[in-house]
Amino acid sequence: MIFVVISQAQGKNPAKQQLEAELVAALSSEADVKVSLVPHLYDLSADHSATQFLRSIPGDVVVLSWLYPRAARWILDRQNVRGHEGISLLESNSDDERDDESSARNNGNGKQGPGDAKKNSNGNGHGEVPDARPMPNRKIYCLDLREHTEAKVYLDEIRRIANEASMPLVDLFGFLKTQPQPERLEKYLRPLELLAEQKSATSLDDDDDLPANGEVVRRRWYPVIDYSRCTNCMECIDFCLFGVYGLDPLGSILVEQQDSCKKGCPACSRVCPANAIVFPGHKTPAIAGADGEVGDVKIDLSKLFGAPSAVELAARERDVELVRDGRDTVGLTIGIPKRLKDKPKKPRDELDDLIDSLNALEL
Amino acid sequence: MSDLFFLMGKYEARIPTDRVYSDNHLWLQADGELNRYRVGFTAYSVRLLQDVYFLEWSIDAQSAVRKKQEIGEIESSKAVSTLYAPADGTILDFNERLLDDPSAINTDGYGRGFLFRIQTDANFLTPDEYVAHLAAGWEKTEKLIKGQYN
Repeated sequence: MIFVVISQAQGKNPAKQQLEAELVAALSSEADVKVSLVPHLYDLSADHSATQFLRSIPGDVVVLSWLYPRAARWILDRQNVRGHEGISLLESNSDDERDDESSARNNGNGKQGPGDAKKNSNGNGHGEVPDARPMPNRKIYCLDLREHTEAKVYLDEIRRIANEASMPLVDLFGFLKTQPQPERLEKYLRPLELLAEQKSATSLDDDDDLPANGEVVRRRWYPVIDYSRCTNCMECIDFCLFGVYGLDPLGSILVEQQDSCKKGCPACSRVCPANAIVFPGHKTPAIAGADGEVGDVKIDLSKLFGAPSAVELAARERDVELVRDGRDTVGLTIGIPKRLKDKPKKPRDELDDLIDSLNALEL
Repeated sequence: MSDLFFLMGKYEARIPTDRVYSDNHLWLQADGELNRYRVGFTAYSVRLLQDVYFLEWSIDAQSAVRKKQEIGEIESSKAVSTLYAPADGTILDFNERLLDDPSAINTDGYGRGFLFRIQTDANFLTPDEYVAHLAAGWEKTEKLIKGQYN
């Protein structure tokens, strides 16, 4: 028995809606799968009934969303939907080279890859950042719905995970009875009805921000911290001049005022030395939570040919938002990381390899 | 005056002394009129790019540009890059022949493989200054390349 959550795409892309509907239909008839449908994860507020529903799910869970798995995982973590990282075999199928590369990267700077929970000293998935919350002993598998267009690929993977999980049957309805408003949450377990409702609502009213029950889901924009990478270095809190970041009682960085964040601005993500700040909606894969290199293994020489540095870009983006707020620009004068000069040298043998590989390719 | 060379590992990048250079690794050679130049990739750039497959410009001929403004894209066997204007000025026209077949960048980078012509009153680096610029940046370049290989 395994729980499957399908998180709906933003907007009304018919191809996306169809994939969601196909998955719901196919999974509804699977014996040991309990499927549910919720709005786009990133847009859910902490007190939305879908968020409460997600928190109520016991045991292993597969979450399918239109997000990079790393983004989905840490959005859920932020909402207190926690568990060890379940390893999907889905993405490694589509990109064999990525494995080598990301494992090589992971060794470099304390980044954590799949199976990270074991490697973390405190065993709660939060690498170097103190975290008092307990880590439930279950797995959360995040699958990216953008990877494949065919429902079958996902269905096969879900069946594989269901076998791997082999959880004893849990009575979720019994579980939900302990929640304050079970009927508000139970509806997410009737995805076929939800889809039908949304369809009829759509034909009357083009605004999908207003579901029948009046619970509004608006587009949001805020940073999500990947605590398996975060080193609590405080560069984000120094850089952001809009008060988005704060500290918890243990001194751990957190996104405190997410609605103070400026829509479209990813500047703090660029200054983060651990690449731990994710903006799931940003067009650049590295900022949106992709792991390692995306799709292309070629070197990007843009910096060599004059591209502004990440910090220059971040400062420009921040200035744009300051001006919009009627404040003065600060350019590179405030909260700029000092670390950039003293990056540790890499071992010399790798360097030699590089030169040799350049030389080996005759022009 | 004879050409200068910059050593990249075992490879000697030739830096001709009959032209000037921009800090983003382009050469500029006077093209008839005052402040008008032909512009192309230096041997250093070409060595890092290796075989160029694809070149595209994102602006039209006769466009005014600012230094560091995005003007196009390049893809080679080893790398991809956005391309940026070397200085404030006006890009007069592009070497159209490269759009179909950019291989001249590799075979004749200092001649037929030029990229575009620009009108600008900016100051550029002398060949000596450019070689010094390369020496100062080489370690960083290695890190840039390596950082992305790993």
